[in-house]
Amino acid sequence: MHWRLFATLAETAGDTEVEVDVDAGATVGDAFDALLETYPALEDEVLDEDGDLYEHVRLLHEGRDPFSEEDGFETVLEDGDELALFPPVSGG
Amino acid sequence: MAGPDLDPEQLDRYSRHIIMDDVGPEGQAALLDASVLVVGAGGLGSPVLQYLAAAGVGTIGVADHDVVERSNLQRQVVHGDSDVGRPKVESAAEFVRELNPDATVEVHETAVSPETVADLVDGYDFVVDASDNFPTRFLLNDYCTLAGVPFSHGAIYRFEGQVTTFTGEGPCYRCLFPEAPPEGAVPDCATTGVLGVLPGTIGTIQATETVKYFVDVGESLDGRMVVYDAAEMSFEEVTVRPNPDCRICGDDPIDSVADVEYSESCAVRAD
Repeated sequence: MHWRLFATLAETAGDTEVEVDVDAGATVGDAFDALLETYPALEDEVLDEDGDLYEHVRLLHEGRDPFSEEDGFETVLEDGDELALFPPVSGG
Repeated sequence: MAGPDLDPEQLDRYSRHIIMDDVGPEGQAALLDASVLVVGAGGLGSPVLQYLAAAGVGTIGVADHDVVERSNLQRQVVHGDSDVGRPKVESAAEFVRELNPDATVEVHETAVSPETVADLVDGYDFVVDASDNFPTRFLLNDYCTLAGVPFSHGAIYRFEGQVTTFTGEGPCYRCLFPEAPPEGAVPDCATTGVLGVLPGTIGTIQATETVKYFVDVGESLDGRMVVYDAAEMSFEEVTVRPNPDCRICGDDPIDSVADVEYSESCAVRAD
């Protein structure tokens, strides 16, 4: 599954585009776990102390917010789906 | 409708707008009647001010409380070497007046705070957020959204920029990012550096959106955020949908910005 990382998250991972191996029928949560397994350093930046995704980090599945529009981490992925993870930036 | 009242100099100055069917004398007159507040006269604010002034936006407010530093000049193109040490609003205003005498510049040498935001924003038709910190960005989003003032959001980080427009018809910034990151999690330009030309691209998109708003042409970025990567030279588009649970524009909004502490997370207090 294909992840796109932005700004600080791309820097931490050292990559803007990341492929992770997940089985057929995998969910957003599976792809997310696989991402953190590949880049453990990301965990501190995206998960709060309770292990929930930070409020300020946006996860998108095919440009949609799976938490408000789909089944959250349970959303089933299809072949070729793109996932994105990005923080807000503030510079001006 | 009565023909817009453009004098001969204006007909000449704006002739390349006026001959366009999609702008025309009416569009140009709308720009001359427009009032826009630009918050931040830095990297993003510079191209915004340049193009709004050139386009003939009749009233341009500029708010900033910093002075020009030499390290600004790599990207903040309305300021010159001799402006180092001067308030940014002064050199920015000078640039605008020199470029276009049609533009009335209103100078606000002040920080945007919960106490000042109403006085600053009220009376302007449109706001351009060209600021450089999360508290100002969240405050502008919250105030403009609650007050029904459309605004452009642009922000930069190293090689990347995020830009969108909020007209009040669609989502607001908090629908996308309900809270600011913890301090230091997403560092600013002073800490990380920024490619000098990056704010030129993002600020110019903000100016484009502002001009389109007044001319009433094309498709705005409302509901879409463009994420630009200057290193990859790629533009991604992210759909931004209104969040019914959003505390600013959702079903149960707060009454005023007094309900928010604009420091660190900028979180909206629970009921």
